[in-house]
Amino acid sequence: MTDILIILAIGLPWLGALAVWLVGNKRPEQQHLLAVIFAVAAGLAALLLIPSYSDAAELKIEVGSVFGDFTFVPDGLGVFLAAVATVVGSLAVIFSVDYMHGDAELGRYYALVLLFIGSMVGLVLTGSMLLLFIFWEMTALCSYALISFYNDDPKAVEGGIKALVITSLGGVGMMIGALIIYAYVGSYEISDFLADPEALPSGVLGVVAFGFLAAAAAKSAQVPFHTWLPGAMEAPSPISALIHAATMVNAGVYLLVRFYPAFEDVEGWTTAVILVGLLSGLLSALMALVAQDLKRALAYSTVSQLGYMVYAVGTGAIFASQFHLLSHAVFKALLFLSAGAVIHSVGTRDMRQMGGLGKQMPFMRNVFIVGALALAGLPILNGFWSKELVLEGGLEEGPVWAYAGMLIGAGITALYSFRMVWLVFFGEPRGTTHAHDAGQYMKLATGILAVGTFTTWLLAGVFGELLEDSLPYHHLEVETGTKIIEDVITAPATLVALGVVALGLLGWWFRKPLSGIAEALSPVGDAAANDFGFEAVNRQIVHWTKEAATALRATQTGYLNWNVVGIIGGLIAVLVILVLGA
Amino acid sequence: MDDMTAFTWMIVLPLLASPAIYLLGRLFKEDGARIARWAAVAALLITWVPFAVAASDLNEHGIQTYQHGSIMLRLDDLSLLLAALVLGLGTLVTVYSGPYMAAESDQEKYFALLVAMIGVMIGLGCAGDLFNLWVWFEGMAIASFFLVAFYREQAASLEAGIKYMVQSAVGSALVLMGIALVLAQTGTLDLVEIRNAARDSDMLLAAGALFTIGFGVKVAMVPMHTWLPDAHSQAPSGISAMLSGVVIEAGLVALLRSLGALTGVSDSWGTLLMIFGAFNMLLGNLMALRQTQVKRLLAYSSLSHMGYMLLGLGIALYAKETAGAQGSLFHMLNHGMMKGLAFLAAGGLLYTLHVSLGDHSPLTVSDLDGAAQKYPITALGLSLAVLGLGGLPPLAGFMSKWQIFVAGFETKETLIELLVLFAALNSVLSLAYYAPLVNALYRRKPSKAVQKGQPMPVLMTVPMVILSVAIVAVGVWPNLLDWLSGPAGDALLATFGF
Amino acid sequence: MNLDILLVGVLAIFGIGLYGLLITRNLIKVVVALQILVKAALLALVAAGEASNQLNLSQSIAMTVIVADTVVAVIGLALAVQVKRVLGTFDTTLLSKLRG
Repeated sequence: MTDILIILAIGLPWLGALAVWLVGNKRPEQQHLLAVIFAVAAGLAALLLIPSYSDAAELKIEVGSVFGDFTFVPDGLGVFLAAVATVVGSLAVIFSVDYMHGDAELGRYYALVLLFIGSMVGLVLTGSMLLLFIFWEMTALCSYALISFYNDDPKAVEGGIKALVITSLGGVGMMIGALIIYAYVGSYEISDFLADPEALPSGVLGVVAFGFLAAAAAKSAQVPFHTWLPGAMEAPSPISALIHAATMVNAGVYLLVRFYPAFEDVEGWTTAVILVGLLSGLLSALMALVAQDLKRALAYSTVSQLGYMVYAVGTGAIFASQFHLLSHAVFKALLFLSAGAVIHSVGTRDMRQMGGLGKQMPFMRNVFIVGALALAGLPILNGFWSKELVLEGGLEEGPVWAYAGMLIGAGITALYSFRMVWLVFFGEPRGTTHAHDAGQYMKLATGILAVGTFTTWLLAGVFGELLEDSLPYHHLEVETGTKIIEDVITAPATLVALGVVALGLLGWWFRKPLSGIAEALSPVGDAAANDFGFEAVNRQIVHWTKEAATALRATQTGYLNWNVVGIIGGLIAVLVILVLGA
Repeated sequence: MDDMTAFTWMIVLPLLASPAIYLLGRLFKEDGARIARWAAVAALLITWVPFAVAASDLNEHGIQTYQHGSIMLRLDDLSLLLAALVLGLGTLVTVYSGPYMAAESDQEKYFALLVAMIGVMIGLGCAGDLFNLWVWFEGMAIASFFLVAFYREQAASLEAGIKYMVQSAVGSALVLMGIALVLAQTGTLDLVEIRNAARDSDMLLAAGALFTIGFGVKVAMVPMHTWLPDAHSQAPSGISAMLSGVVIEAGLVALLRSLGALTGVSDSWGTLLMIFGAFNMLLGNLMALRQTQVKRLLAYSSLSHMGYMLLGLGIALYAKETAGAQGSLFHMLNHGMMKGLAFLAAGGLLYTLHVSLGDHSPLTVSDLDGAAQKYPITALGLSLAVLGLGGLPPLAGFMSKWQIFVAGFETKETLIELLVLFAALNSVLSLAYYAPLVNALYRRKPSKAVQKGQPMPVLMTVPMVILSVAIVAVGVWPNLLDWLSGPAGDALLATFGF
Repeated sequence: MNLDILLVGVLAIFGIGLYGLLITRNLIKVVVALQILVKAALLALVAAGEASNQLNLSQSIAMTVIVADTVVAVIGLALAVQVKRVLGTFDTTLLSKLRG
């Protein structure tokens, strides 16, 4: 039964992709309907999979030769992330019914979205490193194709290719790691490796660990590989919600968590992870603070929140990291989708041209505020509980400097959350005044997510149990749900964090009296607006590569005599090599 | 003289059919072209019968040999792999070429030469002695000279043909010199006997260098590659597909056979191939990065893919392990399918947008704008082909690259591991020029060329569909071709005596 | 006959052929240079047959090479003539439109 559910969760979206594509763009209504049906069905299959979690390979397809077996292990981590991917995915699909209404080439859109959902489920459920890498790259492929969905826009094309190249570049790190593990362990099974990471000499294990960290950083858009995420905002908003907030970017954190038991003893690895998380959490929070583009602000905020999860992994707080992942997936999908509804309505992403939209779009204002408060970490919303857990874990196990940095980040998070809400929904209208309200499907999807933002933290206990039971190598000891809640409430760290969040809020409230401080900090703001120079480094590398390629073209002279020189030169070179080598 | 067996028929049938096709085309004035075309397709389809029998013979009774006077043929699993690739892509290209060449004069020559080239390449894979190898190699070259320069009124086509011919001829003269050295030193030309007789000697080392460069010209190893971008981009698209998908690979098989005979002379063959592989990957990718003509871009990408094959083969020879060879030969099959599809699809667009309107200007990347709306299947095929070439799963190219990389890491040698890392980074770099093609295809606003483009003929679409399905199928189920590439890798190492 | 002298002869002829290919701009001369190259190889083959007591084998090989080589020469000349017709010149430097 479990194996059938696994096949359904992965296969249904793919089947749906094929169906939507076959129906053809001439029948958009049927395409919408089919996409929703298949996405929701996949979500149901993934939810049904949760009770039958186990730590054994429930589905095994033998391939042989150097490709090993294709195995699927529905352990706690896997089924939970599969559920997140499919449920948020199906909500994004439902949202798309309104958002993409009347758009051309729905077949390509839905086929890619569904292909992506299936790949994401495969990614988290598979027990084979080769398959993990395959799904990893497939999500990158879908992400690329969806970012550049509007191919006529050069910015969309550039963003898509950038995302593809940077995540693939990071993927090389994972590939090298997987190849090393296969060479030493002789199997692609993740559990075989986790059972005995000592099979690798320590230096080699270090290469694997840092290779995986690079892959995870590229996928989760962590510093210094985060530069692709702002460009990815050219995608249609449901895609931003689905891929660049709720699912694909989580794959990096998932990878770190999955392999944590093997790498935790590698010298310097946990510190490096903490550092990556800290830099991402802090720097991108600053960038979110100064961003003028609504989706870009949300994108930086995603980088920042993923930084918290990475930081949590570095401090060994596996459960907190994954719990925050769940919360973030829900409230960030909510934020992106409601932002998408606003953008769809007013036709711009620039917050300077918004303002005062709350009156025209009350529903979207309300749900956006719910999401923003969760992002800021206000009590009883899901973001509060998980962020507190992350910070608490960091204080207990991690270095103090990192904790302090993350705490400051939490304050900035609160500040930019309120800034977004204010700029978009309150104050005087600066741009268009007649924004139409969102459609029914948009309200349905965001409404469900808003309810989730209030409630998913109640799952903490169940979720902890799931992880504890089915991750034998992680040695997790998760407390019961009520104990977790009690801990968070009584921990002094919570009060500190809440105080910082309140400071952030007050900072926004009294932004006029505090303008002196803001001015003093303006160099920081300028640097943040310029992406702290990371983007410039990217550009320089691209520039050099292009220059090299252009310069090299001179070697293809087109002259026959010159071509013969190549042959003679080659002969001499080979003779030299052979004489020296033999 | 031995009796003719299935595998010899597999070689002889196309060779006999070739003049018949030409004559048929000449005799029937009215429908000559059409008859020649279908005769060619029929001849190739019939050749699949002896192929199947030969495959099962090989499977049951091991290596097949045939001796006729000084002609020595030997069918092993490597020959079978090459035959499958040649015949597979050849059949599809012949079907495809029907509509593509329909408006040209001298079609009977085209089809006769195409079929002859296919037969010769199958023979090349079976050559059992060094001189026969050269004869088949030269035959392949001669057949392809005409085909490359087929548009003989086009200056660019002639230029490409001249360069191809001159460089090939220099290469084949070098091979002859190598053969002379081997003969002088060992007194035999049989590949197996040479291997047994060959000892460490400077003469044989020089012969190895001559083979490497001589065959290397046809393999397009850097720096002997300069003919390839011209020839592959200027030939009729079906021929481009054959050149990139099969001909340079046949050259590689010839190189491997000759080096296999000289295995005892030096330990450096593997290292040498890896060095060439690295240069091919880097140069091919960087050159492709700035191309604006689609077929020229694809031609440069062939350079880099040859680099992957050389890398895998080099690893196999260096480590004396079969895994790298299997991966490389698997990549050879996949590259044949992917690059074949890429050229057929790009050629399809070239045909509908330019050639069918009597325009021989090249297909540029900006011509592709918005082609997906008018030519959905072709656009999807081209997208799958280039993304597969870029090594993205779940497409065939990823799987074979992975197999090569696994072989590299199994050696556990740091330098080879770094080389694999380099190869992987090259794959990422290649995405930077493959991806924009896909983006262009799926634009909404069609280019001027697309707006006035003609409809795509069905017979050109069918081979594209077949290849697209194959690429995805192999990508999802990588062991689909293992029956070919697995034993062929073993056979290759056997020719080296490992 | 002394094989060393033959070897020197082979290398000399081969060198002349390559030199011709490196400097000539005339297509006809390119074909001639290719012929010289192959002639060097032929001489080498015959000498190799002599050295290894396989004169029969090497002579039959030489005959085959001559045939194949003639075909190549004919193709080369045909292409050259066609170039002359289309472009009106034998100059290879004018045949350099395909570059980069």
